[in-house]
Amino acid sequence: MTTESRRLLSDVRALTGRVRRDQRLTWAALLILTAVTFAAIPVDYVGMTVDCTGEVCAFDRIGVLYYWPVALLLAYAAIALSYHRAARRRGLGTRVMPYAITGAVLTVLFVAAWATVRIYFDSHPPVSFPWWVMVADRLVAPAGTIGVALLVLARLERNVALLVFTLGYLAVVLVPIDFGWQEHGSVRAEFVPQQVINGVVLALGAAGFALSDRKRS
Amino acid sequence: MTNPITGLDDVVHQRVRLGILTITHEARRAEFGYLRTRLELTAGNLSQHVDVLERAGLVAIEKGYEGRRGRTWITLTAAGSRALAAEIKQLQSLIAHLAPEES
Repeated sequence: MTTESRRLLSDVRALTGRVRRDQRLTWAALLILTAVTFAAIPVDYVGMTVDCTGEVCAFDRIGVLYYWPVALLLAYAAIALSYHRAARRRGLGTRVMPYAITGAVLTVLFVAAWATVRIYFDSHPPVSFPWWVMVADRLVAPAGTIGVALLVLARLERNVALLVFTLGYLAVVLVPIDFGWQEHGSVRAEFVPQQVINGVVLALGAAGFALSDRKRS
Repeated sequence: MTNPITGLDDVVHQRVRLGILTITHEARRAEFGYLRTRLELTAGNLSQHVDVLERAGLVAIEKGYEGRRGRTWITLTAAGSRALAAEIKQLQSLIAHLAPEES
């Protein structure tokens, strides 16, 4: 009796895992996020207003504020649509909607946080914030919200590989890599390296998951 | 019908039918062709098992077209979801209770 019960439970586990793998389209999600991340670089560069008086420069990344909410909402819609179409083609339903909704909510949170910061700086002089404020700032910034939403996708898909990848991505986003490029004179160029790194990490993830899918099929 | 000795539901406690319920639970809904491939069954054999589950109210069947191609989708009902959860719980319970006696 227990042998049969064990065999049935083992079948249930194997089928569950197989369906979860068949529902995934992780590489497509990461590819779309890579595209919006790289497209943001010229928008940020050109859209930024810089006002220098002697050695001191004030900048306003207004282009980011206009670009990212629209880009992220379109990206989550495209990801949901891609998942839905792929799952339908394979003969399955999909679990992607909670991820897309989380992404949209985080996008609204990002806009609200940035609006709050702008209102604050209208009546307060610029100050140096403690490290945890800077980490929180990066977490609600677009690159951070992409990572948080990916954690939700990893949970929905019970995808350990995506969880590990996302934790690595969030580490890169929250603890920015700096080889001294913040010391040079161009304020506009200051933000480019980190954005390129974020995009490259996402692109490598997309390539890795695509290769893994190809090997499996 | 529930077996009075094991407490298992005879409709659900069958390898193929348990597989159908598992897949439709995990996938939200599954197409007939996907079930046939994953469970390695003939169309006739799968149909019989799906009919048993539908008559018991554990799955719902939806027929439609995608282009010119007919497609049949199978969805788990609320009763099916409860029956699957009960079956798994009962199997785990049997293993827990019987394993020490067998060893």
